[in-house]
Amino acid sequence: MHKRIRSKIARGSAELAILALLAEQPLYGFDISKRIEEKTGGALHFTLASLYPMLYDLEKRGWIAGRWEANHAGRDRRYYCLTSTGKKELVPLRREWNFFFQALDRLAGVTNA
Amino acid sequence: MPDWRALASERLGPLKLTSEESQEVVAELAAHLEDFYEEQVGRGVSESEAERITLDEVVQWHNQWHNLARNIQRAKHKEETMNARTKHLWLPGLVSLTAAMVLLMILIQISQQPRLLGRSPLELVLLPWLVLLPLCGGAGAYLSRRGGADRRVRLLAGLFPTIVLFSLGTILVLTRLVVFARPHWWYGSLAVGLGIVLPSAALLLGALPFLGTTKPKAVA
Repeated sequence: MHKRIRSKIARGSAELAILALLAEQPLYGFDISKRIEEKTGGALHFTLASLYPMLYDLEKRGWIAGRWEANHAGRDRRYYCLTSTGKKELVPLRREWNFFFQALDRLAGVTNA
Repeated sequence: MPDWRALASERLGPLKLTSEESQEVVAELAAHLEDFYEEQVGRGVSESEAERITLDEVVQWHNQWHNLARNIQRAKHKEETMNARTKHLWLPGLVSLTAAMVLLMILIQISQQPRLLGRSPLELVLLPWLVLLPLCGGAGAYLSRRGGADRRVRLLAGLFPTIVLFSLGTILVLTRLVVFARPHWWYGSLAVGLGIVLPSAALLLGALPFLGTTKPKAVA
């Protein structure tokens, strides 16, 4: 497992991680944190304290929308899905991060490290 | 199994959100704790052990709950939080200052009318200004209270005109753009008394009714 990256870049990329995940399917808070941790091999890790303010912030911006629904176990959970605004915002966000990592790769060869 | 909702509610404390929003936040965080607990049980941990691990997590987050509550409020009401100082101090203060300065200008204009020439500026300008100033102080403190400010900020908003005058006067004296006639202490005291102390007292008189213990309005 990769060592957890605790940097501003990781925090800045958290938005992208949430939006990209929600672009695939609606998910609720705990599920979001679990899947991000799994998919990134633990490099990105959300605690309750870091996840929910970010979700509410994205919701306030109108990028995601939450609604209560029963999960597979029949328990009510607040599912978040990407709004049309969020979908539009995700495109340049992905491009910017891609550009950033390509630039970093050219500079430091991070993909071959 | 613990009452996760009660636990989350207790740790978060009162939120400055509508009751519906608060309940929703508490329910969502409680659901997160419940899922965390269920995950431990799903890994084969005994229920009592899972409960202990979850509660340990909650205790570990002890210092984060306060920040979490603040961050949630900030995220849900971003614009209001960003504008809080403007609403509490700058806008009410500017209203108070503008009103005080406009009144002073009107009184000076009136005192310069030919039929009033030769009468004392104290009588024509200062005294009427002091009589009207409580309205300005009251307006500043009232608007500040309406914006949800605490008592100290309401007082500052009410006294804003004399705070500005005092700051401006200090700069002018320190840069020697204004020099008091001799004896300096006498004319300096007179300027401070007539230009700062008396107007401050008048502004305070107007602000007093709005400095009571009424709780600031919650940002809803």
